[in-house]
Amino acid sequence: MESATTTAEGTLLRNKIRGYARDQRVECRMKAKDSLRIGLGQVKQEVAALEMGIKDVTGMASRIKRRKHATSEDLCRLSLGFLQGNDNINAFAAIPGAIQVLVKELTGPHIQRQTDAVECLCNLSLGEAHVSEKIVTLAGSYMVTYLDGKAERLKRSCLWTLANILATCDKAGKILLQMQLVPKLWRLYSDASGCQEDAAICLSLVATHCLQHVSDEDRSYIAQNLPEKIPEQPARDYFMYIVHQLEIVNQEHKLGAQQAEYLVRFFEATLAPPADRLSLIYGVRVMANLVALGDPSLMGALADPQNLVKTLNQLFALQNPDLSLDLMRLLKNYLQLNAADSNLVLDSLQIYA
Amino acid sequence: MDAEAAESAYLSREQIVRILSEVPAGFIKPTDPPAPSLHPFKKLGVLVDIDDVVGDQDEAVRIRDNRDKEQSYSCAECRKMLPTAHLLDLHITEQHDCYFAASVERGDKPMFSCFLEECTIKFHTPRQRKDHCIITHKLPANYRFDQGKNRGKQKHQPKSKHNSMEVDEVPVESRNLPYVKAFSFGHQTHRTFYSRKDQRSGETLDDVEAMKEAINDILD
Repeated sequence: MESATTTAEGTLLRNKIRGYARDQRVECRMKAKDSLRIGLGQVKQEVAALEMGIKDVTGMASRIKRRKHATSEDLCRLSLGFLQGNDNINAFAAIPGAIQVLVKELTGPHIQRQTDAVECLCNLSLGEAHVSEKIVTLAGSYMVTYLDGKAERLKRSCLWTLANILATCDKAGKILLQMQLVPKLWRLYSDASGCQEDAAICLSLVATHCLQHVSDEDRSYIAQNLPEKIPEQPARDYFMYIVHQLEIVNQEHKLGAQQAEYLVRFFEATLAPPADRLSLIYGVRVMANLVALGDPSLMGALADPQNLVKTLNQLFALQNPDLSLDLMRLLKNYLQLNAADSNLVLDSLQIYA
Repeated sequence: MDAEAAESAYLSREQIVRILSEVPAGFIKPTDPPAPSLHPFKKLGVLVDIDDVVGDQDEAVRIRDNRDKEQSYSCAECRKMLPTAHLLDLHITEQHDCYFAASVERGDKPMFSCFLEECTIKFHTPRQRKDHCIITHKLPANYRFDQGKNRGKQKHQPKSKHNSMEVDEVPVESRNLPYVKAFSFGHQTHRTFYSRKDQRSGETLDDVEAMKEAINDILD
C-alpha cells in the first residue's frame, strides 16, 4: 500500500519536473530567438507563397478596424504584407483609423502583442516620409516610452522602427527628439543591455539627419554622461562620430575635467590595434576641438608633450590624407596653447613627406 | 645610411611650419569637409515567422502571462501593470500616497512630475502636466499611460448619467419604504389619481400615457 503511494507521488513529481523543464525550454527558445531583418520587396524573392496584394491589406485593415482589435496572426500577416512593397504600405496608411488599431495593440497589457504590433509598425516604417510622420504622431510616444522598459525584444523592435523613421523623415525626427529620445538612446547606448548597437545606429542617424533639431539640453545630457560609455562595450566605433557630429565639445557646453579626461582615455583606447578608421578620424577631430577649448587642464594625458608627439607620430605614420589635415589642426591648436616648447615638439615630429 | 634615408622622408621643421600657417586653427565643425560618412544605413523590416503565431495557443498564453508579469512593472497595491519604472513611480505616488494627496491639496508647490523621466518640470495639476506633455513633448492627447484620477472615473461612468436631467438625489432608504395606502376622510379614493400608480409614474412610457389620459378625463 505504502509503496503504491510512493510510486504515485514519484510519478507526480517526475511529471511536474518534466513540465517545468519543458516550460523553461520554450521560454529560453523564445528569448534566444532572433528576428530576421529584411529589406522592402525582398520577401517576394524569399517566399513567393506569402504574396499579399493591396486588396488583401485593405481587407485586413477593414477587418481589424471593424473589430477594433488585431490578433497576433493579423499583425503577422500585415507585417508580411508591408514587406512586399510600398503599395501595400500606402494602401494601409491611407485607411483612416487603421494605424490606431495597431497603436491599441501596442499599448495593450501583453508584451507579446506589443512586440507584434511594433514589428508591424517597423515594416510599415519602410514606407515614405508621410507614413513615418503618421507613425510618429500616433505611436512615437509609446515606442519612446518602451525604450525604458524591461522587455528586450520589444526595445530592439522599437529601436529598429525608430531608426527607419529617423532615416526617412526630418519632421518625424524632430517630433521624436521633442519626446526626449536622445537621452533615452544615450542611456541604452551606455548600458550593458544588449541594445547598444541599435541605439548607436539611432544616435548616429540623429547626428546625420536631425542635427538641427538636437537641443542644448540633449547635448548637455550627453556631455554629463559621457563616462558611462565603456570603450570595451559593443558599438564603440560610433562613439567619436556621435560626440563630434553632435558638437559635444565646444565653447557653449562646459565640459568637466572628468568628462574631458574620459574622452582622452577613450581616444587612446581607439588607437590600439585593430584601429577603426572612422573612429580615428572622428577621434582626432574631437581631440582637436578639446584642445581648441584652450584649457590645458582638460587635455589629460595629451597635455604631456612627449605623449602628444608619440600619438601624433603614430597617426601620421598611417599616411591617411583625411587624418593628416585634422592632425595638423590638432597640432596648431596645441601650439597656440603655449603649453610646451614649440621647437621641441616640432623637432620631434615625424611626418612623412 | 637607412636612418638618413628615413630622415629625408620626413618633413623638415620649416616645411611643417609652412603647412601649419596654411591650416586654420580652432574648432572643427561637423560640416567641415572632408567628413567621411559611416557605413550607409539601409532601412530594414522584420520577417516574422507565422508558424510561431499559429502555434500551440494554450502553451503560448501561459508563457505569455508569465512574461507579462516578469517584464512589466506592477503595482503591489492594485496590480496595475506599467511599462516603465518611472510610470510605476508616478502611479504609486499619485494614486496610493496619502502624503502626496495632502501636498496636492495644500497646493503650495507643484507635485505632478512629467511623464517623461528626463523632463524635470513639475506641475500643480494633472491638467497642466497634460498640456505641457502635449505642447512640449508632442504626446497624444489620449496618452494611455496618463493616470489622472478623473480619467478612470469618467471612463466608468454610466452613459445614461450624462444624458439625464439634473435631479435631486432621492435617499436610498426612502426608495425602499413599503407602500402604505393613503388615508381618506369620508371621501372616495376614486376622485384622486390612483396613488399606487402615481408612485411609479414617469418611469415607463405606459405610465406617462395613462397619466395623460387621466388628465384629459379631468379636463373634460
